[in-house]
Amino acid sequence: MLRHQTIESLTTQQADMTAEGAIALLDQVAAQIIVLVGEAGFASLYARSLFVSQFQFPWLAVDGPTAQADHRFENLRASLRAQPLWLAIEANRVLLLTLTDILASLIGEPLTNSIMDLAWGDKAPMKSGEEQKK
Amino acid sequence: MSRNVNIRSLKTGVPGLDNLLGGGVPEFSIILISGTPGSGKTTLAHQIMFTSANPSNRALFFTIVGEPALKMLRYQQQFGYFDIEKVNQSIRFINLSTDLLEGDLDRVLSRISDEVKDFAPSLIFVDSFRSVMKAGNHVDPWISTQQQFVQGLGMLMTSWLATTFLLGEYEMSESDASPIFAVADGIIWLSQDLQRNSVVRKMQVIKMRGQAQATGLHTFRIGENGIQVFPRAIVKQGLASASVSKASVGTARVPMGVAELDDMLGGGLPAGYSLLVVGPSGSGKTILATEFLAEGARRGEPGVIAAFEKSPSQLLGNLKLYSLIQAGKIGVIDTRSLDLSIDETLHDLIEMINSMQAKRVVIDSLSGFDLALAPEFSEDFRGSLYRMVAELTGMGVTILMTSELEDRYTDLRFSPFGSAFLVDAIVVQRYIEIQGQLKRAISVVKVRGSAHSKDIRLFDITGDGIVIGEALSHYTSILTGSPAPVPPHKSGDKADGDE
Repeated sequence: MLRHQTIESLTTQQADMTAEGAIALLDQVAAQIIVLVGEAGFASLYARSLFVSQFQFPWLAVDGPTAQADHRFENLRASLRAQPLWLAIEANRVLLLTLTDILASLIGEPLTNSIMDLAWGDKAPMKSGEEQKK
Repeated sequence: MSRNVNIRSLKTGVPGLDNLLGGGVPEFSIILISGTPGSGKTTLAHQIMFTSANPSNRALFFTIVGEPALKMLRYQQQFGYFDIEKVNQSIRFINLSTDLLEGDLDRVLSRISDEVKDFAPSLIFVDSFRSVMKAGNHVDPWISTQQQFVQGLGMLMTSWLATTFLLGEYEMSESDASPIFAVADGIIWLSQDLQRNSVVRKMQVIKMRGQAQATGLHTFRIGENGIQVFPRAIVKQGLASASVSKASVGTARVPMGVAELDDMLGGGLPAGYSLLVVGPSGSGKTILATEFLAEGARRGEPGVIAAFEKSPSQLLGNLKLYSLIQAGKIGVIDTRSLDLSIDETLHDLIEMINSMQAKRVVIDSLSGFDLALAPEFSEDFRGSLYRMVAELTGMGVTILMTSELEDRYTDLRFSPFGSAFLVDAIVVQRYIEIQGQLKRAISVVKVRGSAHSKDIRLFDITGDGIVIGEALSHYTSILTGSPAPVPPHKSGDKADGDE
C-alpha cells in the first residue's frame, strides 16, 4: 500500500531522522486532520492510535487532551527521547501507520492520502494521492 | 436597458430543487437550510456543494459540533455526488469546534473571516449554524451578541461575494425568536412525516427573496445519488380548463386496437383524453390496455405503462406486452414501493414520456397505485389523481387507466375512488350469467363531448386479443348479472343505442 510505503520512507529510511523529526511528521499530519475534523476528532483518533501502539511499545506515553499545538505531543516527545533513536523512530512509524489506518478505515483511503499529501507535501517521496489515480 | 440589478440564479444541481426555488439560489444570498435531525440538511448541502464547486467556484464547508466531522465525511462518501478529487482542491472542510469552545463568537467570526480570505470561496456552508448560536452562556447580553454575530456574518459573506448556506436544527416555532430567520434571504425547510409505518420526506421553501418560489410542501427522496425533489404538480389555469375546451374542439381519434370498441367510442378515443376502464378481477382490463399500447406501437406512437399491480414477472408473462417492451416501443415504470408520493410517480412518468416521446400512457391499475402511495397521499387520492391526470393530459398524451371494481348487481358504480368525473371517458366491463355460462360484457359509459354507443355487448378474450361480440339487445336486466330474454313483443321497441 502506497500510504504505508510513504510512511516507511519518511521514517525508517531517513538516515538523518531524529526524535524531533519523528514528532514533526506526526505534528504535520495532526494539523491537517484537525482542520478537517477538529481537535476533539483528532484527540479521539490519537488516543486510539496510542492505545493500539502501546501493545508493541508499552513505554509510549499518553498525552492528555489539549488544544494547544505546542504541547500536543509533550509526553510522547519525552518518551521517545528516553529510548534509543532507532526504537523511537520505529515506535513513531507504528504510531503513524496506526493513526492513518484508523483514519482510512473511517473516511477512506483516498481522503486519507489527500490529508497526507497536504501534511507532508514534497517531503513524501511519492505523492500518496497518485495511488487512487492508478 | 434596465438599470435594475440583475441577480443571477445559481443552479443547485439537485434534481427538482431549482423548480421549487424559482430558478435556483440567488447569487450572494444567505440561505438557511433547516429541519429536524435526520431530515437531510447535510446531504442537501453536500450535494449542492459537490455539484457546484470547481476550481473557479470554490467552496468552504465549516463544521462545528453536532454531527462529528469524521462520521459526516464517512457517510457522505456513500453518495454518488461525493467527488474525492474536489476535496482540498475546490472544496475545503474546516472544523470550528475549537474556536467555539469558549463561546466566543468574535473568535468564530474572525476564524471564518480568515479562512474566507485565504480560500476565496464562492460558496460557504456552516453546519451546524445552530451549534454556533447555542454555544456559550445565555445571559441577556448574549442575545445581542448573537444578533451582532449574525449580522456580522451576513455582512462578511455578502461583501466577499459568497453565497452562504447555514444549516440548523430549528423548529418552525422558533422562527420568531432567532435573528437568523430575519437575516436569511431564503429558508428551505426539510421534514419527515410519519404516518402509520410510512415516512415521507418533505421540503418547503419558506422564502426566497427576489424570486417566486413554488409554495407548499413538496416530497423528496434520498437515494444513492443524493436528494431528488418532486415538485408538487399544481394544476395550471390552462390545464384546468383543458378538459372543457378539448371537448368542444374536434380532436383526432386514437384507435384502441379493438375495432368494435372504436365503433362504440364513436370512432376511437379522442386524442388527449383520459379513459377509465373499470371491471372486476380477470375481466380483461390489462389485456385491453395492452391492445391500446400495441395499436399505438403499430402506428409509431410509443407508449408508457406504469404497472402498480403486477410483479415484473407477471407483467412480462403478457407476451404481447413483453415483446413490445423488448422492442423498446413501450416503456415500463414498475414500482411496488408502498411509500410513493403521487408527484414522484408523476415525475417518473413525465421523464419517461419525454424520453420516449410517448403518445399513450397506461396506469395499471388505480387500485395498485392507491396501495403504493404512502397513507397520507392515499387519503387524498382523488385530489392527487386530479392533478396527475390534468398534468398528463396537458402534455397531450392519451391515458388509459384501469381500476378494479367488484361486480355489484344491486347498484351501479363506475369507479371505486369517486374518480369517474375526473376522466373524459369510461368503459365498464362486467361478468354476467347467460344460459349457465359466465360471460363478459362491455359498455361505454361516457365519452365527454362525443356521441358513443350505449350498447352492452358481449366480449371474449382469445389468443388474438379482445373480440367484441353482439349487443345484448335481446336481453333485459343485464346489470343484475342474470339477464333475461326480452319478451318477443317488447324486443322490437328497442332503438339502436348510438347517439
